[in-house]
Amino acid sequence: MGVSKEVFEKQILALLGPLQGVARRLTCNDTEAEDLVAETVTRAWRALDSLESEAAFRSWLFRILNNTFISDLRRAGARPKTESLDCDETDENEAYFSVFEQVHQPFLLWFGNPEQEFLDKLLREDLDRALATLPEHHRIVVILSDLEEFSYAEIATTLDVPIGTVRSRLARARSALQKLLWQQAQDYGLNGAAAADNDATPNAQSGERSTAPSPRKL
Amino acid sequence: MSNKPIDCEQALKQVYEYLDHELGHHDHEAMQQHLSICKSCFSRVEFEQRLKEKVKGLREEEPTDSASDRVKQLLKGF
Repeated sequence: MGVSKEVFEKQILALLGPLQGVARRLTCNDTEAEDLVAETVTRAWRALDSLESEAAFRSWLFRILNNTFISDLRRAGARPKTESLDCDETDENEAYFSVFEQVHQPFLLWFGNPEQEFLDKLLREDLDRALATLPEHHRIVVILSDLEEFSYAEIATTLDVPIGTVRSRLARARSALQKLLWQQAQDYGLNGAAAADNDATPNAQSGERSTAPSPRKL
Repeated sequence: MSNKPIDCEQALKQVYEYLDHELGHHDHEAMQQHLSICKSCFSRVEFEQRLKEKVKGLREEEPTDSASDRVKQLLKGF
């Protein structure tokens, strides 16, 4: 079916920011992200007949982005990462993790609100780092769901997986993300004492983190 | 018609689908009813909601000038 060239251009330009944002988070490299976006737009134009309707443009375009990223990885010989992106839930047995369950203290209400305090201390760079550390098959579902606000059905179309897989993969991805954030927070907690003593760490010098998160003390 | 009440175990299984607006109407209402009477589950949902919003804050709305110029150039050639 496809759409007119005019509609194609309008949609591409409207989605260019998110497209580049997702590409940057997948590649973790600005130059590679620009190349990925350019390749995606070129492939999309060539595959315009496969677009079913204008309403499906976003998931269709991001599907091409994801497929282009996978084929680029394969071409680059990055086998382990490619396998993880195509992963058939090999980490199914990984233990579920929740920061809330680590910090919540229902019987110490007068002591404050440790889970909210954890979030208050969470910086953008903490989230950036944790998200970049996730394996690609986890990272992409968090990006599509939480950043781009795709529905589960749209994610299923974009990644070409059943909707049940989206649901379970997203739950595991969020669990893995929280585990990484928790580990980072613990590291900051340990380093934070040293930073306060000698004021020598980059964070302490720049004043970016006035109080290092120390969940054990919350 | 009132919904069948759900317990904490059921509520916790549905937290993400609730926050992602992926629950059906009756399940959504049952979840809301549970949250209105269970402080622990309410706190959990509140935590997950705030974390989700923080992750959403990472979204990039605008392309860089170089990416924008490159794509516009590409589009001219199609």
